[in-house]
Amino acid sequence: MEQGANYEGQPIHEPTGWWSRYVFSQDHKIIALQYITVALAIGLTGMFLSLMMRMQLGFPGLFESIDAGSYYQDVTMHGMIMVIYLLTALFLGGFGNYLIPLMLGSRDMAFPFVNMLSFWVYFLSVIILVSSFFVESGPTGAGWTLYPPQSILEGTPGGDGAGIILMLASLAVFIIAFTMGGLNYITTVLQSRAKGMTLMRMPLIIWCIFLATFLGLLAFPALLVGAIMLIFDRVLETSFFMPEIFKGGEVLDYGGGSPVLFQHLFWFFGHPEVYIIALPAFGIISELISCHARKNIFGYNMMVWALIAIAGIAFIVWAHHMYVAGMNPYLGFFFATTTLIIAIPTAIKVYNWVITLWDANIKMTVPMLYCLAFLITFLIGGLTGLFLGNVAVDVPLSDTYFVVGHFHMVMAVSPFLALYGGLYHWYPSVTGRMLDDTLGQIHFWITFVGTYLIYFPMHYIGFLGVPRRYYSNEQYDFIPQSVNDLNQFITICALIVGASQFILLYNFVVSLYKGKEAGPNPWGACTLEWQALESPPGHGNWGEKLPVVYRWPYDYGLPGATADFVPQNVPDEQIT
Amino acid sequence: MGLTHGQVFVYTLMTVISILFLFITNAYLFRMNFEDWNPVPIPSLLWVNTGSLILASVGMAWAKSGAKRSSVQTIKVGLIIGGLFAVTFVTGQTLAWQELSSSGYFLTVNPANTFFYLITALHAMHVIGGVAAWFYVAVKTFQQDQSILQPESIGLLGTYWHYMLLVWVLLFMLLLTT
Repeated sequence: MEQGANYEGQPIHEPTGWWSRYVFSQDHKIIALQYITVALAIGLTGMFLSLMMRMQLGFPGLFESIDAGSYYQDVTMHGMIMVIYLLTALFLGGFGNYLIPLMLGSRDMAFPFVNMLSFWVYFLSVIILVSSFFVESGPTGAGWTLYPPQSILEGTPGGDGAGIILMLASLAVFIIAFTMGGLNYITTVLQSRAKGMTLMRMPLIIWCIFLATFLGLLAFPALLVGAIMLIFDRVLETSFFMPEIFKGGEVLDYGGGSPVLFQHLFWFFGHPEVYIIALPAFGIISELISCHARKNIFGYNMMVWALIAIAGIAFIVWAHHMYVAGMNPYLGFFFATTTLIIAIPTAIKVYNWVITLWDANIKMTVPMLYCLAFLITFLIGGLTGLFLGNVAVDVPLSDTYFVVGHFHMVMAVSPFLALYGGLYHWYPSVTGRMLDDTLGQIHFWITFVGTYLIYFPMHYIGFLGVPRRYYSNEQYDFIPQSVNDLNQFITICALIVGASQFILLYNFVVSLYKGKEAGPNPWGACTLEWQALESPPGHGNWGEKLPVVYRWPYDYGLPGATADFVPQNVPDEQIT
Repeated sequence: MGLTHGQVFVYTLMTVISILFLFITNAYLFRMNFEDWNPVPIPSLLWVNTGSLILASVGMAWAKSGAKRSSVQTIKVGLIIGGLFAVTFVTGQTLAWQELSSSGYFLTVNPANTFFYLITALHAMHVIGGVAAWFYVAVKTFQQDQSILQPESIGLLGTYWHYMLLVWVLLFMLLLTT
């Protein structure tokens, strides 16, 4: 590929005033911060909702305001907020925006105006979502999967008002925002790389964000189609998904539709969504593990091909979420097989991370702690996935707390550990200051140990057959008292872990003013974002001259070099 | 690869839109097997509308060729034909909806009706999106009376117009044959 054909001509959109600099900014770094701020704010709301659920499960009836209806609303909004509005937005909109141009040696995204628009449309989607808390009868309580017929029928918590319509509208708007951002990421990665930055010299996190964006662009249309059709069914009383329904002895106007069709559309999006979140987390771990172990990443090419394989296979496993929906056994066999096959490229990645650590000069920094925690957590979450991927094992475990434990380990705790590691690692690049290490360690240990204490017991509760989504476990003979005791314990742990997240926020704010000066490259990293002239990088990132890349991004411990790392923009003759 | 930023953007966008229509087609083929499916009689106006879209595409191809030859006059004529016939197409589609609903084929009566309206509306919305981009390019073109007028933008508009025609022909065939 012809490199650098356009780079000298890349426009610099110098902002002229406060509004264009900080609010309607077209600078990718500001847009990244806007994404991160909004995503973390809505994420805190999501965390608060989960604590409400935990209070009910651990101490039933303690809060009179939590009734069955509001419990389901909390469950629904928690799930949707965390998966879509927090993690997807933060990884791709936040990390993607910040890192793609900087790591590729570009001045900005290929289309800065569209990039700005992407954030504001995302913000609009969050506003629409939040507004559903304030409409009559509140947000939808149909579960985050929004399965019809229940999701759009009156009588479902939040179903009498506009809650479900606002949710679907918000998702549609989010998808538009994501598409605008995604087209930008793809174009920037393919077109705006610095001279010498071949595809196989890109940092792995850029590969991960690039592929996750592709997954999103190809998967979100399925959700969009499903959401539009569901709005039709709700507002116009059409019957895309709605079968014949009797309510209180009366036949409703619906008839003939297929709820399973929605499930297919939803999960065709839903499973790739897991990887839209997981791939950027993989990328962060790859960067951090190499840098903080001062060793080149093991098997770069293999890592890239494993990522491509994961992204491809992610599209042919969706129906493993639907084993109990009524499925031809041969189809179940097919999806179980593809599901288990995806373990191969994933295992390649995990082995490569472990081998990277082998005999390395491991620095026990906070980002490294998060990497190690991620490896263990992702392994455990992945192993329980092997259980659930098998139809015969999945059927009895379906809809139990085993599933809740599994998916929280693999797509809540693991991505969060990567996310936090990434925040600690790149905070100095954004602010020019280091986060406080002691606070970081405290935050890490409480979060890491605490999340295990929360989710590990859920696997046992699930084995006992305790169903998920139950508002109260008290009136069932098959649920022993020990489950309620365990639930109390989990709730207390959840409260502690929840409260400990404010340590991170406190650290963010205090370090902004009092943190140790970071200097240009505090971790001694090879990638380009640390090689900018200014720290933090200024507008246009590189001053007058764009960087030229001479090597791959993981040249740690190069024989003959004076330092233990060689940045990507240093030519061979300057190494010694 | 030799592609411009705009080309990568538009080609990726067209891929995403293709996926969208692929899903809606899948859902259509899935749903039509159910007992309550009652096919919609296709209004003959759709043939006329298809002709409009073909003319729009021809107009835009003309503009593209004008951009290649730096012929300002050809670009302008091509752009006008391309834009006007695209608007004619969308107007024609709304007339077709009116014709259908006035003969009792309302949106909610049968899933086949709902799909007909949904599919044609989704396609029309994408054409309207294209018209918005056309408007932007056309205004710029008519403001600057000389030189080679944005050959890249005109080329991309043309590509999008041909693509919208292709999508429509496929959707129309789907509606006609099922």
